[in-house]
Order: sequence, then structure tokens, then C-alpha cells
Amino acid sequence: MADIAIIGHAQSPSWRMADLTEPQFLFPVISEAIASANINRRDIGFTCAGSCDYLSGQTFAFVMNLEAVGAWPPITESHVEMDGAWALYEAWVRLQVGDIDTALVFGSGKSSPGNPSEVYPLQLDPYTLTPLGVDPVSMAALQARALLDAGLVTEQEMAQVAARSRRDAMNNPYAQVSGEFDPEKLLAEPYVTMPLRKHDLPPISDGACAVILATADKAREVCERPVWIRGIDHRIEAHQPGMRDLTQSSSTRLAGERAGVGNAPIDVAELCVSFSHEESVLRRALGLGDEVKINPSGGPLAGNPIMAVGLARIAEAARQVSDFGAHRAVAHASSGQALQQNLVCVLEGD
Amino acid sequence: MTASLPDEVVDPNAPVTNMDYFMALEFEEIICPVVQRYADGLLAGKILGHRCPQCGLVYVPPRGYCPIDVLETTEADEVELADRGVVTNYTVVTPVQYYGQEETEPFAKVSVLLDEPGGMLSLQDVLEVPVAEVRIGMRLEAVWVPEAERTVAEIGNRWGGAGGCILGWRATGEPDVSSDQLNDRVF
Amino acid sequence: MSHQPCAVVGIGQTKHKKRRDDVSLPGLVREAAQRALDDAEMTWTDIDAVVLGKAPDPFEGVMMPELSMADALGAAGKPLMRVHTAGSVGGSTAIVATHLIETGIHERVLTVAYEKQSEGDAQWGLAGGRSGGMGAGGIFAPWMRSYIQHSGAPEDIGWKVAVKDRQNALKNPYAHLQLKDISIEKVKESPMLWEPIHFLESCPSSDGACAMVLTNEAGAKKSPRPPAWVLATAMRSELGQFPGRDPVRPQAGVECSRMLYAAAGITNPRAQIDVAELYVPFSWYEPMWLEGHDIAGPGEGWKMTDSGATALTGDFPVNPSGGVLSSNPIGASGMLRFAEAALQVRGAAGEHQVEGATVALGHAYGGAAQYYSMWIVGASLDAVAKHK
Repeated sequence: MADIAIIGHAQSPSWRMADLTEPQFLFPVISEAIASANINRRDIGFTCAGSCDYLSGQTFAFVMNLEAVGAWPPITESHVEMDGAWALYEAWVRLQVGDIDTALVFGSGKSSPGNPSEVYPLQLDPYTLTPLGVDPVSMAALQARALLDAGLVTEQEMAQVAARSRRDAMNNPYAQVSGEFDPEKLLAEPYVTMPLRKHDLPPISDGACAVILATADKAREVCERPVWIRGIDHRIEAHQPGMRDLTQSSSTRLAGERAGVGNAPIDVAELCVSFSHEESVLRRALGLGDEVKINPSGGPLAGNPIMAVGLARIAEAARQVSDFGAHRAVAHASSGQALQQNLVCVLEGD
Repeated sequence: MTASLPDEVVDPNAPVTNMDYFMALEFEEIICPVVQRYADGLLAGKILGHRCPQCGLVYVPPRGYCPIDVLETTEADEVELADRGVVTNYTVVTPVQYYGQEETEPFAKVSVLLDEPGGMLSLQDVLEVPVAEVRIGMRLEAVWVPEAERTVAEIGNRWGGAGGCILGWRATGEPDVSSDQLNDRVF
Repeated sequence: MSHQPCAVVGIGQTKHKKRRDDVSLPGLVREAAQRALDDAEMTWTDIDAVVLGKAPDPFEGVMMPELSMADALGAAGKPLMRVHTAGSVGGSTAIVATHLIETGIHERVLTVAYEKQSEGDAQWGLAGGRSGGMGAGGIFAPWMRSYIQHSGAPEDIGWKVAVKDRQNALKNPYAHLQLKDISIEKVKESPMLWEPIHFLESCPSSDGACAMVLTNEAGAKKSPRPPAWVLATAMRSELGQFPGRDPVRPQAGVECSRMLYAAAGITNPRAQIDVAELYVPFSWYEPMWLEGHDIAGPGEGWKMTDSGATALTGDFPVNPSGGVLSSNPIGASGMLRFAEAALQVRGAAGEHQVEGATVALGHAYGGAAQYYSMWIVGASLDAVAKHK
């Protein structure tokens, strides 16, 4: 496989009830990503977007986002109805073909106009699960319960993950929820849906993220500190939660193996920990020991712009390599509920 | 003790049945500032657009950016547009019935190219003109809702339009514009 | 450049119908996928990755259906992606799958596209849930009017396309519309939907799915039936709405086909392509795409239709399968064009086979005629060079 690097990226803050439209807040994110990559917009060989109609409550919602890209004169672009991390995967594949040298990837979404407990049941099997009205917090709660019962995590550990994430997020200008929280006080709060409390849940966020990829020659030409994608893979599991061992994430483990996580020591990981208990599952699935710093950005617990949040993990991991001296980082994105589908990406500096 | 399902439940040869599952989702979206200002303009009897400072194209409703030059546009780029113009293209839709459909008779939807400084409003309604007489080149003027009755409840971030403030467009009676000059502009 | 040849070794589709009440969503998809696997003489476990495509989720009321279909698609433990590029999605999905083979990332990829429109209300979906929707064709009708005026085409060209495609569909057992008594009179007298487009000049709303199995050269050698070789692919998009845009001959469409022909080594598409499956959902789009993709010169597209050149027995058959005018499961329609082109060069199109076809064009478009995906397939890797 050809070496592909991340040469630039940008994010919007995560907000609740943003008063800008999605194309309006996407607009500067894409422009900043391009500027940060030190390339011309018209040199971009391929653009790929990630977004979801149901989040927006509008069929063909992604069409308007094209206005933030600079699609006149015409461009070569595509779209996945998935998190921008999968748009990055499509762009990575496209760059492997060898005829173009840069790609623009972005993910965006407004989660706040809709009600998650109305929208997310539609993401489940329409015959057996949607009619039950299982909301996404309850689905996550099932996984948390399995982990607690298996002795793989404790409520204290979950509260500690939440507190640590929001403390680290104080250094993240894009974060929506940050601050010093005392795990003991958090544990005194009532459950929202047993065994999950408010601190275990991600915020509801609107936001966008854009990343610029380049082939090796182009990266060397324009970028002082390219961040190399050493491996990238994604896998999905069976859909029915009753058919999976919710205490493991076999697809994350498999994707991690294929991406080569275990080939060398990892310094830092940006994982799509949307619910605090997921950190335990993902650490184990990826074989990340205690020495690995998880989510210095705060992760989704600090800002959860669905459709951009997975791509933002890749951008944040890249930032750790290019700006904070990490040599080797892992980024993870997830799709579906209770970690059904997972993407893992290994990044390295020179 | 294991329960077993009665045979008629598990008969693979039984005909497949279907059930209706009706669902409703509510989305609440805040109007973005540029559309809010556009809506305020309509309430005051003005059609506001943004003219891109680089390419000069007029966007109505304004989007807060020019997608061609990829630059943001602001109030500094605001321009008050004419409320008279000419039909550049149209179709007559025979309504299909679907949930929420209120139309029952064929209706025309026209694209109106506004007089200087320009701007195109598409999917506009024509008033007081039989559907069969709608034609390219027809000169039209906006029929405004009386000021006290205007509402912008229908104006959203995506749908724009002018419903609630402009009832539709009526013929001005001026001679038609020759269609060669219009190049059948849809946009 | 890491670019291995990609071959289509299995093709399957469902019987397209207004309502497939006999199958669930996964059932519909598996019907097509299983047929493609059977055609390739492969099993589910042979597949390395799955690429799924479909149009807006509100059409069926299922959000991100690849998640609940992972099992039905045999994708557990595998990479699964879901592409969505509006009406062109069936084509772009096939192109994403093609790249996975061409880059050597996977050896055998299953690609599937579907729509089960009867589950939801597509008209409601297209109207964005509001009254007074323009319907599928209302946005395009003024553009067709513009073409008719500028080209000076006689009014019956659209009716001729409508008749031709439905007569072709009679030779395609999978096609939705089987209108044995279709005629110019019937088309002309059918109710006006979006002036000037009559009911019988418009596509149906269908439930259906299409699937293909793609593999590399080594896989193609082992395949039981002649493969179709992917000689070139192209995708191009433009803004759908800006002042002064030409939606009649969109620049993205022109560029897409030019990029495609250049990649395939085609300098004279009219002569070097034996058959084209073009995405024609409304009759006038046949001459519009012939011109929009440089197969006919400006104002000349309607003459190809008029002369019979685009008939099954003509010298540039268009839509021998019956096309979108005869079957339109929106998410699948683009892939059906790509798959039917592949069937042609494999000699596997049965009664609607174009004799001796060795180079075929598959085309899909979407949105406000702003998204394009196209491919050229050949009976051999050198089919274009060998073409007479």
C-alpha cells in the first residue's frame, strides 16, 4: 500500500443548538483545513463527505454541504452515510489508485434539532428492535450492565473516565463539556438509565471536522510534519445485541490487528468513547496498556458531533503526533450502537 | 421446561403479511442569522439578497456565503432586490397524493428572474392566471400579503421561499420579454 | 501507480415491482446478492468486503440500514461501507467497490444497491415531508422544456423513448413495467404529470435490488463465466443551484464522460461504444444525455432517437434493459445501469442482448443533475483497442 499522510485538519467547536446551518459552520472548517495543509483548493483530487440524513431530518441533506466545498467548477467527490472516518477510509482507498495526490475529507452533523430517543431507534433492526422503542442510552446501558456483571469495569472507573475526560477537555478549545468534576460527587447523582448516570453520557453536539490527506510525494512537498497512516481497517459485527458478547469489541480487535496496532508501542489513543464504559472495552480490544494516554482531547464525552466525531478522533490523534511529540498513535471511530462497527487507524510521525 | 411455538406461528409456507408502522419525528432547528434577517426583510416588504463581492452573483434567499468563490458573505453584501421580474421557466405539476399533501388541482411553479439588481426566485406561485396561460417571458410582480398579516413561520433554513409574506406573483400586463433574451434561465 | 484490473464475475438482480410484499428489506437485498454469488459460483464466505449503496433512508424509514443488514449481507467480521450520492448512488457504490479491487486491498468484493420504496412514501420523502411537492420530475421538467426549445426537437421524441424503453423491458424478465400494449398514442394520451412530461414518459416507483461480485485478474481466470472487465470509471459533481447554472447540459456531466473516455482510450464514443445503459428517468433525458456526454453533438441527440439508432437493433442501442423508465428502485437504478452494461459484454443479457457487444457504457446521475458516476466495461482488457 502507498504511504498516505494527514497534512492538515480543522474542526468546529461542538455546540448544542448551533444557530448556523450545517453548510455555514462547515464552510470555515473546510477552508481552515485546506489552509492548514498548505495546498490550493483546486488541487484537491478527491473529496469525500460523511453525514446522515436522519440526523438532519431531511432527505438529501448532504447535498447542501457541497456548497461549503468549492464545487464549481466541478470536482470529483463522493459521500457516505456514515461518520467522516469512513469517508476518510474511502479517500485513503482512492488515493491508493495513484492518479491523484490529495484528498479532502469531512464529516458534519447537527444532532441537536432531533430527539435522540426518537431518531436512534430507527437505526436498529426495523422488524425486531425498532418497535421496542429502545433508545440509544438504554442500548448503551445494556452494554454497561454486561461489563459490570462480568467484573470488567466498576461504576467508579466509569466516573473516573468521565471526570478525566472533562478535565482534559479544558485544554481543548473545541470541547462543549469540560471542567473539574469529582468522581465521588458524580457517583452520588441519580441514574438516568441504570446503570448510566448523566456523566456517563456524551453531550448532544452539532459540529464538523475536515482532514486533508496526501500521497507521500505531495506530503513531503508541502508539509513539515506529515502524519503517516501506517494502517487502517474497519469491521462490523452482527447487529442483534443478543448475538454479540457486549463485554468485548471483536470488530475493534480485528480492525486493530489488521491496522497493525500491536506492531509497535503506542503513545496515545483517541478513541470514540461515547459512553464512559466503552473505554474499558476499547482499551482491551486494542491491547492498550495503562501507559497509553487515552483521549487527551476529552473525546466524545466532551463533544459529540455525530458524523464528525470519529473523524475528529483521527484529527486529534494526528495533532498529538504533529504537535505534541507523540511518535505513534491510534485513532478509533465507531458506528451503530453498542460498538457494532469500528474503524481503527494507526498514525506515525517521521 | 421449554415452551414450543404452535405450528401456525412457525409455518414457513404461510403467506407473508405486512403491517403499517407510522412514525413521526420532530426536529427543531434555530433559524440562522442570515435567514432571520431575510425573514425580517420580508416582514418589512423587502426581498433581501446577498451579492458576492467577488463574482457579483446575487443569492436569494441569502446563504451567508458564495459557494462559487467559497467566501462568506455578510450584511455588507446585502442588497435589496426588485419585486418585479419575468418568468424564465416553469412547469405545471399535477399533484400526487401523499401524506401531508394539500394540493388537488394542477398548479404552476415558475422561476422568476427579478429586475435589476437581479436574483432568481424559483418554485414561485402564479396568481390570477390560468395555468394554461403561464409562459416564458411573462412579466410578473409580487403580490404581498397585507403587512399586518405577514408571517415568516414558513421560512426555514433550508426551504427559504417567501411564503407567508408574498402570496404569489401576478401578471403586470407589460409586454412579454422575448424568450431569446432569457436563455431559459432556471437558476 | 497501483492499479490492478477489476472484473465483474457475478451479477444478480431482483424482479423489480411496485411492491415486493413477499420479502423483507434484507430478503430483497439477499435475493439479488445470492443471485450474484450463484452467478460467480461463490459463497458468502468467499467475499472479503461488502459495499452497500442506497438513496435516502427516509424512503424506507430505516436509518443507516447497513447496520441492521450486516448479517443478511454476510458482513459480520468484514469491512462494510454504505455509499450515498443521491440518484447516482448505484454507480458510485460500484466504483468504490471497483477501487477496492484495483488497489489490491481486497480480492473479492460484493457490491449491492437497493431501494424498497413501497415501505415508505417516496413522494413524501422527495417533498421533504411538505405539501405541494414538485414530485420526482417537477424539478427536471423545466430543463427538459429548455432542451426541447433549444434543440428544436419535435414533441414526439419523448414519446418515442418511452415506447422504446418499455418495449425493451418486455425482453427483460426482471423489469418492473411490462406494458405489452405500449404505443405512442397511449403515451401521448396519458395524464400530464409535470408539463410537458406525461405519466407514461416517467419512471415508475419500484422495489428492487442489484448486486455484483467483483474480483481481480486471478479471480477472473477462475470464474465459470466470461467476466466483464472494468476499463474505466469516473465520478464528477457540481453545485446543484447557483445563479446562471446550466442544468440542461451540466458541466459535471460533460467532464465526467470526458474523463471516462480518456481513461478508457475512447476518442469517438459514438463509434467505439456498442451499447449504453443511461440513467433516463424521464423520456427526454435520452437525447439530453446523448448530447450531455458527447455521444451526439449539440442539438443532434434527438435525431439519434428519431432515426431509430438507439433502438435495440439500432447502431447505438440505449437501455436495452428497459432502463430507469421501466424499473426504478432509486438506490439500485444506477447499479442496474452498470450491471446491465456488464451483462451485455459478457453476452449474458438474454433476450435483450445486443449482438456482438464488446464495449458498454454504464451511467448514473443524481441530485439536481449534479452527481455523475459512469463506467466502461469490456469483454476483454483490450476491448477498446480491438474495437472495429
